[in-house]
Amino acid sequence: MAVLAKELTAELRGRVALNAVGLFGLTTLIAVAYQIGPYRIADADRPHLLAALLWIILYFAAASGLPRVFVKEEDARTAKTLRLAARPGAVFTGKFLFNVILLAALEAFLVPLYCALMSYGIAGIGPFTLLLACGAVALAATSTIVAAIISRATGSGTLFAILSVPLVLPLLVFLIQGTRAASASAGLAEVLPALRAVTSLAGVTLVTSAFIFPVVWHE
Amino acid sequence: MLFFTAMPGVTVSFRTVGKRFGPRRVLTSVSGELRPGQVLVVAGPNGAGKSTLLNILAGTLRQSRGSVEHLGETGPIERARWFHHLGVAAPDMAMYDELTALENLRFFARVRGVDSSPARLEQALESVGLARRDFTKPLGTFSSGMKQRVKLAQAVLHRPAVLLLDEPSSNLDAAGHDVVAGLVRSNKAGTAVAVATNDPREVAWGDAQIDLIL
Repeated sequence: MAVLAKELTAELRGRVALNAVGLFGLTTLIAVAYQIGPYRIADADRPHLLAALLWIILYFAAASGLPRVFVKEEDARTAKTLRLAARPGAVFTGKFLFNVILLAALEAFLVPLYCALMSYGIAGIGPFTLLLACGAVALAATSTIVAAIISRATGSGTLFAILSVPLVLPLLVFLIQGTRAASASAGLAEVLPALRAVTSLAGVTLVTSAFIFPVVWHE
Repeated sequence: MLFFTAMPGVTVSFRTVGKRFGPRRVLTSVSGELRPGQVLVVAGPNGAGKSTLLNILAGTLRQSRGSVEHLGETGPIERARWFHHLGVAAPDMAMYDELTALENLRFFARVRGVDSSPARLEQALESVGLARRDFTKPLGTFSSGMKQRVKLAQAVLHRPAVLLLDEPSSNLDAAGHDVVAGLVRSNKAGTAVAVATNDPREVAWGDAQIDLIL
């Protein structure tokens, strides 16, 4: 928890990641709402397109801020100090939880705005909220381990995109499917297959990360 | 000044250590031993490989040839435990600019699992000569000399059995140099200390010396 507390304190004072994801998300959302809006999509296409657009905006906004958890440690030359002092498990857990909180904050800010601007109705608010929470955990897990891998490389931004896309793509597909189901139906049963898939991917990523992070962190 | 009871004695033994960065050879073949209660001075001109050797001894850089052993009282120390015995202050390490001096030390005390009480942390900062009024200021507002003092406090906070100091007086004034000298003296009992330096005053601290050449 010490690493998480440090991340939150530093972020609340600097607000670099919050500003990056918030501004990127807001700009993308306004551009999409202005160009496409709620009425330029045929009714038949709305469930598919609006669900896809929501997760594209969320993911790309998140991608502008989530890798910072490790990249900033390397840039500020604090990584070695942290590496020598903290257990790898404590570092990964703290950074992962920080990314979950950052994503949850981004979702809390962007999703209601998106629904309002795009007239996007969600029938199953409960299942959709659950899907957003699982999506935040899964995206944070993937982003955190990829950020750790790329943090010491030059051109880390490009590398993050290259490495994270194959890991995030299946996740986004299930999140979009789940969102489409939640927008059409109030029941949990319709969203459950997507929820299971997202939870499984998050679990696999977290378990794999627990094994590979100490090597990534120290080598 | 802080007088610590260090962790049980640890010896760092290194044999024919060499390091290459691509085609550039930095260390050819360096051997020696870092023993509890001794100060090993690593001297040499810029680029001779002083920091590289300290990084290899710390385990944060892999040598290209030779061997490094971290030996505790009961045998070799496994890598996962090694960092608990180690304190390092080096130019390529920084503390968190967004946090105050006290918050920085509290964070490092917590992640190391050692006493993080305000009294203990304040004592650590006082021991490196930081003025009390600066304890609660963010490090981002500090001069490089003040940051160096906080870095030194962090390095000895957990009473390490091995203390590696790379250019410890860099950015420090004469009073700061005295602080480092006191820190080395006070931590010497039971602790293996290595100092990488060009400063003749720091070279004089050594019980043993390795002179690296270009």
